[in-house]
Amino acid sequence: MRQAQDGDESAFAEIVRRYSPRVFSTASRFFRQRSLVEEAAQEVFLKAFTQLGSFEGRGSLEGWLTRIATNTCLNMLRAGKRRPELTVSDLSDEEDQWLEQQLSDTKQRSVESNLVAADLADRLLSVLSPEDQQALLMIDGEEASIKEVAEATGWSESKVKVRAFRARKKIREAMEKLLRSQDRKPATT
Amino acid sequence: MQGERRQGERMKDKHITEVLDNAALATLSPGELDEIRAHARDCEPCRTAFAAAQISAVMIKERTQAAVEPSPFFQTRVMAAWREQQAVESVPAIVRLWRSSRALVSSMALATVALGALSFVVSAPATTSTLDQTTASSAYSAESVIFQDNDDQLSYDQVINAIYTDDGDNK
Repeated sequence: MRQAQDGDESAFAEIVRRYSPRVFSTASRFFRQRSLVEEAAQEVFLKAFTQLGSFEGRGSLEGWLTRIATNTCLNMLRAGKRRPELTVSDLSDEEDQWLEQQLSDTKQRSVESNLVAADLADRLLSVLSPEDQQALLMIDGEEASIKEVAEATGWSESKVKVRAFRARKKIREAMEKLLRSQDRKPATT
Repeated sequence: MQGERRQGERMKDKHITEVLDNAALATLSPGELDEIRAHARDCEPCRTAFAAAQISAVMIKERTQAAVEPSPFFQTRVMAAWREQQAVESVPAIVRLWRSSRALVSSMALATVALGALSFVVSAPATTSTLDQTTASSAYSAESVIFQDNDDQLSYDQVINAIYTDDGDNK
């Protein structure tokens, strides 16, 4: 760490090698396209190298990098446009079929169906603010605690709770609309 | 356990949407889930809400599992970008500014020189002759204004005298 702070190139390379999986995992929460994830991850390490002098070593380097990654990705997402709400006419045949399967008892788990689910999630999530997406994916997707999200983002715990609640509600309501618009009858499970 | 039962009793009378939005579905206890199901059985809007929450939970889980792994060349790429950044930062700001605007400044200077040369060389004679004419006419006008009493102008009698004198001479 000290070597890296002194500008040692091999020490930087070691930081990139060791913490890339963590930074990629954080960036993947925001983007699904490989090119975007890599772009974000590269920016994270370049920012980290220029700010390495300000790292006081109070927390872990991984935590510090995660915070930089979160802020970098949030900024990248804020610069992009939010998509309008997803309607049933926007669904592809595969997505429609996947929804039908979820409502019936014949749920299939295959690589293809998982990808369809991830795609659909991506499109539903895009109606949320980047911050709300982040809170929901960490808590409901990665089973992170409120405290862990607060540490990774720098938000207060009550803010994390509010964001997660709001995101969950919005996603559920959007999904309800999709289910109602095609008059799908949920089974009483 | 007793607390859960009490909460379940409350759920029977109250719609379950707030419970669904308050926490991740995976974190609800089996007791809470049973109560939600019991309420959803008799309440159509809550049945749809519960189904929507379940599907959303599955989708979000799948979304987080679709993580991108770093490529083997990522480290090399980052280090190359870092070296490039270092090289840029080591050059003084004024030199960087000059490098970035060099082409623009050179073309602007060239255009100015070309325009200057054109205005002096190509249009120079035309300008001079026009200037001379203007000066001449202005000079005439100035004289006529200054010398109101124009000596060059002959009176009518003088003209008549001159004609007849000439005629007499010829004869």
